[in-house]
Amino acid sequence: MTGIAVRPAAPDRARIGHWLQRYGVYAGVGLLLVVNTALTPHFLSVENFRTQAVQVAPVLIVALGMALAIGTEGVDLSVGAVMALSASVTALYLGYGLPGALLVVALFAAAVGLANGALVALVGVQPIVATLALMVGGRGLAQVLLPQLEDIRNPAMASLGSGDLLGVPYLILIAAGLVLLVAFAVRRTTFGRQLLAIGDNRTAAQLAGLPVKRVLMVVYVCSALLAAVAGVLATARLQASDPTSLGNLMELSAITAVVVGGTPLSGGQVRIAGTVAGAVLIQLLTATLIKHDLPPSWTQMAQAAVIVLAVYAARGRGRR
Amino acid sequence: MAAPPAREPCPAPSAGDTPPAEVLALRGLTRTFPGVRALDGVSLSLRAGEVRALVGENGAGKSTLIKVLTGVYRPDAGSIELHGEPVRFGTPLEAQHAGISTIYQEVNLIPLMSVARNLFLGREPRNRLGLIDFGRMHREAAGTLSGYGVRADVRRPLRSLGVGAQQMVALARAVSVDARVVVMDEPTSSLEPREVETLFGVVRGLRERGIAVVYVSHRLDELYELCDTVTVLRDGRLVHDGPLAGLDRLSLVAAMLGRELGEVRRKGTTEFSGSHQAAEGEPVLKAEDLTVPHKLHGVSLSIRPGEVVGLGGLLGSGRTETAKAVAGALAPGSGTVAVAGVPLRTGSTPAAIRAGISLLPEDRKSEGIVPGLSVRENIALAALPRLSRLGLVSEARIDSVVETFMRRLRIKASDPHQKVGELSGGNQQKVLLARWLAMNPKVLLLDEPTRGIDVGAKAEVQKLVDELAEDGLGVLLISSDLEELIEGSDRVVVLKDGAVVGELTGDEVTEDLLMRTIAGGAEPALPGGTAPGGEVAGR
Amino acid sequence: MNFTSHRRHPLARPAAAASLALAVALTAAGCAKSEDDADGAAKPSATGADADAGQKVAAPKPGGKGCTLAAYGGDTLDLKGATVGFSQSEKEANPFRIAETRSIKDEAAKRGVKLLTANAQSQFSKQISDVQDLLAKGADVLVIAPLNSDGWEPVLRAAAARKVPIVTIDRQINADPCKDYVSFIASDFVEQGKRAADQMIEATGGKGKVAILLGAAGNNVTTERTKGFKDRIAEKAPELEIVFEQTGDFAREKGQQVTEQLIQSQPGINGVYAENDEMGLGAVGALKGAGKKPGDVKIITIDGTRNAVQGVVDGWIQGVIESNPRFGPLAFRTLDAFTRGEEVPQEIVIEDGAYDADNAEQDLGRAY
Repeated sequence: MTGIAVRPAAPDRARIGHWLQRYGVYAGVGLLLVVNTALTPHFLSVENFRTQAVQVAPVLIVALGMALAIGTEGVDLSVGAVMALSASVTALYLGYGLPGALLVVALFAAAVGLANGALVALVGVQPIVATLALMVGGRGLAQVLLPQLEDIRNPAMASLGSGDLLGVPYLILIAAGLVLLVAFAVRRTTFGRQLLAIGDNRTAAQLAGLPVKRVLMVVYVCSALLAAVAGVLATARLQASDPTSLGNLMELSAITAVVVGGTPLSGGQVRIAGTVAGAVLIQLLTATLIKHDLPPSWTQMAQAAVIVLAVYAARGRGRR
Repeated sequence: MAAPPAREPCPAPSAGDTPPAEVLALRGLTRTFPGVRALDGVSLSLRAGEVRALVGENGAGKSTLIKVLTGVYRPDAGSIELHGEPVRFGTPLEAQHAGISTIYQEVNLIPLMSVARNLFLGREPRNRLGLIDFGRMHREAAGTLSGYGVRADVRRPLRSLGVGAQQMVALARAVSVDARVVVMDEPTSSLEPREVETLFGVVRGLRERGIAVVYVSHRLDELYELCDTVTVLRDGRLVHDGPLAGLDRLSLVAAMLGRELGEVRRKGTTEFSGSHQAAEGEPVLKAEDLTVPHKLHGVSLSIRPGEVVGLGGLLGSGRTETAKAVAGALAPGSGTVAVAGVPLRTGSTPAAIRAGISLLPEDRKSEGIVPGLSVRENIALAALPRLSRLGLVSEARIDSVVETFMRRLRIKASDPHQKVGELSGGNQQKVLLARWLAMNPKVLLLDEPTRGIDVGAKAEVQKLVDELAEDGLGVLLISSDLEELIEGSDRVVVLKDGAVVGELTGDEVTEDLLMRTIAGGAEPALPGGTAPGGEVAGR
Repeated sequence: MNFTSHRRHPLARPAAAASLALAVALTAAGCAKSEDDADGAAKPSATGADADAGQKVAAPKPGGKGCTLAAYGGDTLDLKGATVGFSQSEKEANPFRIAETRSIKDEAAKRGVKLLTANAQSQFSKQISDVQDLLAKGADVLVIAPLNSDGWEPVLRAAAARKVPIVTIDRQINADPCKDYVSFIASDFVEQGKRAADQMIEATGGKGKVAILLGAAGNNVTTERTKGFKDRIAEKAPELEIVFEQTGDFAREKGQQVTEQLIQSQPGINGVYAENDEMGLGAVGALKGAGKKPGDVKIITIDGTRNAVQGVVDGWIQGVIESNPRFGPLAFRTLDAFTRGEEVPQEIVIEDGAYDADNAEQDLGRAY
């Protein structure tokens, strides 16, 4: 420590972290595209990109809701369970036609979201605990409603899962529409502004007269509804309702997409473009390793590395 | 207030012909942040036993200097010498090991650990088995802390102590780790007057032991009472360096502000114009019998339009709680609040805001600003529903409101999209004021509106309060600064232990009477201003 | 051996964002749930008669040891008037468990035996207390489908004290046969893998490139079905190249996603070996989505659920190796013989059927 003269400082680690947090995910996606184009056979094809987009759509839709919850300095662990619940309910009520089934699915999801929101906003339970309760209970209910996997033979569901419009699968169109909708809500609505303020400084937001409880309720309802959409779409694609395994660990995939996309867990920011890129990054990473038939454990390690980088970047931000 | 307390020229700590050795020397320190040169070639020297005041407006570079000194930041250029040896600190811990200890405004100890553990953290006395010798630790902790005026059960968690006592623990810990230099950043901002006296005693003790002190404070009285020398920074540059004894207050303020002496003298120390045209007629705010268990016991007050009502009292007397109960941020057990004769639901912030009550909270950082959002979003925050249609934000309306208030309040930000967290304290406070003024309030509750902000911003805020009262707002002013309270208020309601103990109006609003009332009326008024430390509210 | 906890290792899923602190909490909760599901499909269809049809006589391991009442200790007993306790490990939420429990119940009813049942809902501590409960209620013999192999000492001690014979099905417990329990009845998963390889060789003509959809990582079913398949391919059809091995976690969705990646990057793939029916059905979904026709890519799966056998009928799946869940007749026959004083084998392999284009349609009713 002694005997060393002060020299001009090297570029701040904090600044590197900040850059990584903001743009790292895009760089990662770019890198994977380049690597795959060079090394993976049949990578540059419309079919391949369609496959990746269709596979990432449910994760992405769930991640949108997760980004909102994380933006309020919360988290929603019940999303996987809501997917399972919506799969069960879809199978049970398809007899009334797809619109009827969707209505019931929405009711169930809204109920879960309201329960989450009430526990968080009214009772003051930590989000991680409140939504953990529904993560366990929700899947339990899904399995009670539909004890085992059931095949779905419904033309409307089949077309939802594998149909397309001008060559673009419905799944991709729906996911894209929801991305735009949520991005719009975050940027342009009072709800979005209030959400960010609550996530950044809840006390100040409360003292500024913001409807904190209402905003939190809406956030968890939105998250549940988005998870329900993802559940219906995944079910449609699978042509089967699988309440036991559908959405398993989805909460972790969604959180990963959000965090890797640069949204800090400390709240106050919601990066929708980053979340999209985060989900795509994880998808491409998984696809790359599968296509090259690398051991599945590599996928986990690669994802762990990405998360560590994301957390490192978030930490750099905190050092400012 | 009174003239600076006369102080004897400071005796050289080690009375002798040779001046005490130089402990610390900073030479030509420069540190740049994106867009800002926070420190520009600043030098400073510190001798053993010297207490040096470090002053400057917000943004002058004080905190950057401290952070460079304590290893939080690395300087871009310049050198630090400790005992004549060049040093370079990579982390605060390295600085601490080298003998530089820092006490920050916020106590950064571990609230759930015992007082004694906090004091000895990392160097606990051990018994033969290598385990912590709790008996010895507790005895030594109690002994050490009594020297700091803290008499508490050292086995209880730190958080059970008051803020002042916690600060003393922090100080005791800092000093006990063999510090050669102690940096104190606004140490008295949350202390009671008695605790301030204890702190001063401790600082004098440090001086006698030959420990050098860098003392940062906004309270000029404290500096004159305690410090030998002063370093004045402005805009990252050194503007004055010398003994404090020869420098009168006005010159010091002038140096900080970079203004001409005459200008400062003419204006006095606050910007308040004096009395307002206290309107006759119905009060715009009427609070009756507000009671909050353990905090407020039947507080009533009323404010007429155009009137500034001061709320006086010591720390913990219930001033902040009164303001929060009125603003709905604290649910009173009983009592009523009415705005312009219309009673409102208590305990609901939105209801109070709809009725026209705005509260500028005491703790700007944790209760006021939303640091990650921009200046623009912060100003528009409360008024958002009015600036939106069908839930969609109208950017044009926000722009016009933001532009209006940024100009009117002279908010200094690089642009409206700058994050509020990056602004100086004074500008943050103005942003909060703008947030409330955008709501067209009827009543403005200002809880310590000028605390911790620089002199220039302070003057601007005071002037603004005057203007707002003249525009017909009812203002409730809470301030620990007696001068501000007296010059700013038409009436002062005095609280003690959660109850109203007196009210001063018109000519009664004087420092002498205020202090008498605060002290409980029975005791004779202190000879204000003539004896150091006689100012009760601690400025 | 363990048939059912295919999905015992949720962390093995690549999606795990394991480094987040909350992952720990999630995983704990995820574990409790995910053990419930195995490869599940189709409705329970096995009637008593069907179940009986699926029952094959025990094939004692050549050179395997036997066990007699004299060696085990205890008195003879007429099973007819006895009380049998059955402890199931997981709730009946997948075809295998449903068929297994039903088979036990049907056989008990057929023999006029009083049956006490309990379900541990995937909690081992509950299974221990379940069994103790069954003993307390007066069970004379026990049939146990163990959730774990270890930790059975307290139960075995209690059973030994009452001289109650125990037969374990589908998973072995770590204890001394013919001392702590009588015998263990299960499928041979390595053999299933070998038979799947035989079908794959037949379907592809022993040439080309094939992929394996592995079960959940770290699961003995996965390990053994993989070993059997690879060994047999190496031995019989060296020209059949295994070019791709990725986990589908025994789940249909994962099987579909992995197969989609596979056919994107290796359009020339000739066969897919799915280590359970669900992943195989996922693979069928992926092939349909990619516009392939039945038979373009040969699919061989293991388990024998109704949906997979229907897939054989439809031509999308070329072969299904059965993993027989109908332990009832065999378990009761073993206990009956044992309690009458006859010698029974310590280890009994249940015979599994198989489905291909020749028999799928007529045997569809036998699928569970």
